[in-house]
Amino acid sequence: MDAAAIAAPGGAPAKHEILNVKGLSAGYGPMRVIHALDFIVYSGERVGLVGLNGHGKSTLFYAIAGLTGWQRGSIRLNGVEVGRTRSQGPGRFTHLVVRQGLALIPQGDEIFHGLTVGEHLDSGAFTPRAWRERKQRKERVLAIFPPLVKLMDTPVGRLSGGERRMVSIGRGLMAEASLFLVDEPSLGLAPKAGKSVMAALMSVELGSSAMVIAEQNVALLEGKVDRIIGMHVGKLKGEASAALAFQTRREL
Amino acid sequence: MDLGFIITNAVVLACIYGTLAIGLSITWSSVGLINLAYGFIFALSGYGAWLGAQHISTNGVVVVACGVLTGALGGLLVCALAFIPIHDKPNFTVRGLIATLAISLIGGQALLAIFGPRAKNLPEIFGSWKISLAGVVLTADKVGNVVVSIAVVTAVLMWMRSSRRGLEIRAMMMNPHAAAIVGIGVRRTGFYVMAITGGLAGLAAVLLSQTYYISPFGGLAPMIKGVSIALCGGLGSVRGAVIAAVLLGLNEALTARLMGGQYVLITQFLLIILILLMRPRGIAGILDRAREA
Repeated sequence: MDAAAIAAPGGAPAKHEILNVKGLSAGYGPMRVIHALDFIVYSGERVGLVGLNGHGKSTLFYAIAGLTGWQRGSIRLNGVEVGRTRSQGPGRFTHLVVRQGLALIPQGDEIFHGLTVGEHLDSGAFTPRAWRERKQRKERVLAIFPPLVKLMDTPVGRLSGGERRMVSIGRGLMAEASLFLVDEPSLGLAPKAGKSVMAALMSVELGSSAMVIAEQNVALLEGKVDRIIGMHVGKLKGEASAALAFQTRREL
Repeated sequence: MDLGFIITNAVVLACIYGTLAIGLSITWSSVGLINLAYGFIFALSGYGAWLGAQHISTNGVVVVACGVLTGALGGLLVCALAFIPIHDKPNFTVRGLIATLAISLIGGQALLAIFGPRAKNLPEIFGSWKISLAGVVLTADKVGNVVVSIAVVTAVLMWMRSSRRGLEIRAMMMNPHAAAIVGIGVRRTGFYVMAITGGLAGLAAVLLSQTYYISPFGGLAPMIKGVSIALCGGLGSVRGAVIAAVLLGLNEALTARLMGGQYVLITQFLLIILILLMRPRGIAGILDRAREA
């Protein structure tokens, strides 16, 4: 079966830990953003991570990818230790973490403005297997984001904000990953565009992989994810299953 | 007749300096290093080609290959010494500048110690024929220089357009941070980039040695010209570098003909200052998104 990472055949595979973070602290220079945080994500799970600006959602994602200024603590991805104590060198080991099965879809538009949409999607298929299968993978991404089909040869620098976000997310989905970290997919988009991006994320078949979505707008997540976790000043606070989240009522 | 001579000279110089400038430009925008050791790589590969001509064969292909390979090795050396240890430390741009300058100085002295101060010359790799085209005499080295440099630079650019490694390098040129997120190993890509740009320097060294001699510090002037062309074209822009190379090559040939060779650097830098005054980011600069963004 090709592309088992995203589209696994039906039936519930045994649940196992995809990500296990223990005692993670991270920050930039003298600033400590994340304080001794523990976090477990299971396979097949869609987790919402909510919290205000500046409370460490993005830093948590960056720390998992090894992109913070410094960090310490254990991060196990698919049972392999990828966290390390680091005092400098953000990004030095990120490609090794990515090879272990991480797809980080960063906040805002971390795009390559001169590459076309097609090249962008290629650049997301980094592991050798994903690179060989990039045609099928591209088709699958295009099925999720149909507007990209006619933009394949357009430089990304010319696209609108919503289209860029689609490219950015599509690039993440190209990877042969078992953990998708999606950082504020609706940020800076018109409510309608934000909703459709979110709907596309929900339509991704996870199979045995997992997805964590950081979001400030809880209403966009409610009822659609398996768990919602709150984040407050660098620590995880409170957890609600989707069933509980259903009972609260909010206006958009 | 005279005009033809000026134009052919301009084109030859533009090709050689353009090769250097494109190498410097790619280095800057993908790994963020202003490679001041480029002159050293240039001289080193000149000596590599000379050794190849002395010991292996004076066949043109062998000499060029020796030069390019030595240049690539020199690039790897510079990468291992000046990029890998400091690329993720603070102030990398300035530190890298100083580190490559140090390599350039130490390397130049080492070449002087090993090969002695006497300049070497390479065999005529393109033969010694000449053709006359519409009253303009084209010598073998001129034709060869233009054809080889354009072919190699085009091949490199095509490779960067179409291959996966090229995609990695271009991605890193545009957004190093996002490149890391996608899974591109900064250090490995650094080695590719430095090997390729070193190879380009080696090529330029062999081609220029058809006109000038090889000497331990012979790389300095070409490097200064390469850097100024790359600056003029907008660091990081290949198209800009090509246009700037043509402009400055034309200027150099015109100045040498009309005013004399000693004025070349003066008019060169006047022209560069003029261009940068009018277009601060160079001819086709993408500096805004290249590194600091």
